[in-house]
Amino acid sequence: MSNIAGKAYAMNVITPIKWYLRWINKVIFAIGDNARFLGGLLTLSLIHYARWTIVKPGEFPRLDSSQPKEDIKYSYMFFFSNFNGSWAQYVDSFSMAIPTGLNLFWFKDVKYPKSVPINPFHEYISDNQIWTNHYYSAYPMATSNDVKSAKKVKNALHVFIKDTEKATPAEFQKRYNRLLINLQHDLCQMAPTPIVSLAEAAITNRRKNHAKEN
Amino acid sequence: MANKSGKAYGLTTLCPIVNEALGKQSFSALTRDRLEKLPIHEKSPLAKVPNTYLCRFFVLNDVFFEGKPANYEHLRSKYLVFTSNFHGDLDTYLRGMWQSAQQDVKDIWRFCVGFSKVNDADSFIDYIKKCQVKTTLFFNGSTDDPLHEQLKSLYLKQELSKFVYANQGKKPEDLQSAFKEFIERVQPTNLNGPTWRCGASTLESAVTHNEV
Repeated sequence: MSNIAGKAYAMNVITPIKWYLRWINKVIFAIGDNARFLGGLLTLSLIHYARWTIVKPGEFPRLDSSQPKEDIKYSYMFFFSNFNGSWAQYVDSFSMAIPTGLNLFWFKDVKYPKSVPINPFHEYISDNQIWTNHYYSAYPMATSNDVKSAKKVKNALHVFIKDTEKATPAEFQKRYNRLLINLQHDLCQMAPTPIVSLAEAAITNRRKNHAKEN
Repeated sequence: MANKSGKAYGLTTLCPIVNEALGKQSFSALTRDRLEKLPIHEKSPLAKVPNTYLCRFFVLNDVFFEGKPANYEHLRSKYLVFTSNFHGDLDTYLRGMWQSAQQDVKDIWRFCVGFSKVNDADSFIDYIKKCQVKTTLFFNGSTDDPLHEQLKSLYLKQELSKFVYANQGKKPEDLQSAFKEFIERVQPTNLNGPTWRCGASTLESAVTHNEV
């Protein structure tokens, strides 16, 4: 069980919505699905990918007649996020950066306390969170910002190589300095963080204990 | 379409687990056990699946009770929840998953309703689509490039950062010469290598010369 894959944290939050209010949330999400509305989310550069999925009782997959049909009354909103940093950093950042957006996304969810003040919001997320059993990241040592800045570095490097193919050493130096100035926010070396080690140590210990039990 | 953001796809699936047991353990507990024993990072079976950015599995036992006066209700099935963020279209991704990690796929979904009928890539695609629920809002805070481009970019960022640090204060002639050697070594346009390894969790294992 681990919500952590290197620098990425997997959050799963499942919250009920009254069936007759579900459509309001759906409309809000439909409006929200454009760049202007998502602008607040974009300021949270610690997010790799996030999603909200509203599932009606009749939409829970039923693949065989032997499988009992769900008889729940609520619809459920599933929120899945992949972000960098700690749980508290993330929840606090959300609450501070887009309090209104959060209140809209969870607009009619049962007992949603609103994003401010922070303590009831913490409790709401914590109470409705489910732990991940296996989490994979293609780049555990990279943050979302690393991935985005790496793209800038690659593109700038391609242009620089082309531009300096026939440059004199002096011209090369001048363009090289300009390249570094332009990439000063994007260049840094990635490395494992203590979070990686702690998570791995916890998993290793858990597996050892599991092996002993068996 | 909410499942997509540019060329990034957000797959959400709820796969019902058969409500039976093997010995003293329920199928859902066995599924969870299997997931928790999967190797992690570069050794995870998902590291073999082309174009997977980030993905997760967990077993959904039940929904939460929010306290009075909310309804007290339960799910009648347990669900294996699989969500993935990947590059490209769904069919290609799932076909790649079946082809690159078939045995792991069988082990993970073994106790799920209807999975016994899955025997090839096409039936796996059909099965996953039956379990898919449509994403209402998918937010891409990263890039939607193919994974091998993301990995090559990370490799170049790392190597250029090291190069800059190591070549501070050099004369223009020496700097240009060192840069030529650097470019020959890192091969910026060669996506197949050298590059960043899928799932690399240590610097010692981060660079590979024959990825993708």
